[in-house]
Amino acid sequence: MRHLLGVEIYKLVKQSKTYYGLFAIFFIEFLVVLAAYYQGNDILDLLLVNLKDSFYFQGSLLNGNLIIYLLLNMLWFHLPLILMILVAGTLTSEFKDGTLQSVMLQPVAKWKFILSKYCVVILFTLLTVLLTAITCIAVAYIIFGQGDLVVYLGTLNFIESSMAQQKLIYAFVFGGVSMVFFAVVSLTLAVVLKEATKTWIVAALFLIVNNVLMKFELESYFYNYWFFPKLNNSWQLFFYTEVPMELIVQNALVLIGYTVIFMLIGMALFVKRDVG
Amino acid sequence: MNLSVKDISKRYGKVTALNAVSLHCQKGEIVGLLGRNGAGKTTLFKILFGLVKPDSGQVDFERSKQKSLGGIIEKPGLYGYLNALENMKVFSRMQGLQLTDQEIKLNLERVGLPIERNDRVQNYSMGMKQRLAIAIALLNHPNYLVLDEPFSGLDPIGIKAISSLILDLVSKDKIGVLIASHLVDQVSAISDRIYVINNGEIINSGETQQLIRDHSPFYTLYGSNIGESQCLKKYQAKLFPTKAIVQVESHKIVEILKELQHENIEITSCVPEVDFEKLFDIKA
Repeated sequence: MRHLLGVEIYKLVKQSKTYYGLFAIFFIEFLVVLAAYYQGNDILDLLLVNLKDSFYFQGSLLNGNLIIYLLLNMLWFHLPLILMILVAGTLTSEFKDGTLQSVMLQPVAKWKFILSKYCVVILFTLLTVLLTAITCIAVAYIIFGQGDLVVYLGTLNFIESSMAQQKLIYAFVFGGVSMVFFAVVSLTLAVVLKEATKTWIVAALFLIVNNVLMKFELESYFYNYWFFPKLNNSWQLFFYTEVPMELIVQNALVLIGYTVIFMLIGMALFVKRDVG
Repeated sequence: MNLSVKDISKRYGKVTALNAVSLHCQKGEIVGLLGRNGAGKTTLFKILFGLVKPDSGQVDFERSKQKSLGGIIEKPGLYGYLNALENMKVFSRMQGLQLTDQEIKLNLERVGLPIERNDRVQNYSMGMKQRLAIAIALLNHPNYLVLDEPFSGLDPIGIKAISSLILDLVSKDKIGVLIASHLVDQVSAISDRIYVINNGEIINSGETQQLIRDHSPFYTLYGSNIGESQCLKKYQAKLFPTKAIVQVESHKIVEILKELQHENIEITSCVPEVDFEKLFDIKA
């Protein structure tokens, strides 16, 4: 198993598409920062036009913390999309190139092979989120500096700078759990569909439907607390005035549960099905 | 213990891919599996490797070793973005082998691959890919090598080189080789025994030369002055300036060659022409 993990990491590192994917993520980051740099103050003015008549805001509200928050909102669609494409490619390319068949001709257990794929995909996803967080925070603070964070979640919430930093880091941590969920789903879809284009279409559809469902407001306990689209948005809970920590932990655990279920389904299908 | 399959059957929906197929291969022997495209060769090989589960029947071979079977199925499945050495490293590491670069280079040399090439495998010719795939198949010293269409997409020089490599492996390492192909000439040139498969059934089998003789109603004789032969006329041969096509039973050909010698006709080669229809379609 240790050897298989090493081999999977080696293959991921040696493929140029890994770097194309990472470049795409950082390019989106760059675009958001650029947009915020040029249009951020206009947007904030529009948002706070009434409040500015009644309140005095100290310092610039267009600061690094707000930029990171904006990036988080943008990235939680683009990042899983790119990750899902990259992750699916790690298996669909093996189907297409016949390398999966070659691997299965070696004394390698099917379950060990697919488990190592899942493990490396999870590791890669977490590293990507970490790298994204580091670059986001570094770029945002270097260009825009620090300051209080104002977010709109039904009402305007004002968060002190030091507290904002902490909440943003927690948001990235929860985002990591969420991204791992999408990555695992993507690999499971690759196991089911085998072909790259089909997998990408279904993965993109999954992500879009997830985002649409996330916006729906239903009076259903299951829908709001146990269905994964709502769970993926739990990182926003950190930015409420009173953070419902118990709920966030519960949501994270349920999401991890979904991730494990998708992974087990993928492994079972891979082991059961014929290769080729 | 031989590599053997007994009464293997496999259906895909209403299509019968294999029907009670049995064959065996011993160590140090080359066994050919001849069949047209879609005859069931690849399905049988996939079953041998456990990639596809048969509906019935069994596969037996010595399983005491970590890897008893090595092989290629359909095409050499290689990581195109890696070079030959890196491919070897990946495939050896995944089966727990800790080979040094020097050992890997020796393995590459063994199959006739240039060790100085560092470029990606995607740039390689089909022949080189086949060689690399064979080197990978030979990792961990399997008792048997199972090759599916190893001559496919190769030029005559490539075919010759792969054939020599297979013969060399059998004579030096005493491994058993099972080759599937639709190319009768190439398989018959190197195999000791042949099985013929059609529509998922073994329809012919036997010692290669006997099988070829039994299914060769014509012989093509080549010689610089063969068109002048008188004796061939009585066999109603088709005469050309440097070749003659004669329809005789196999035991007669020796007699004809003797007669041609008496006529001072120098025969450069005598090639049995296999009747493919008969070989592939009619049950023996």
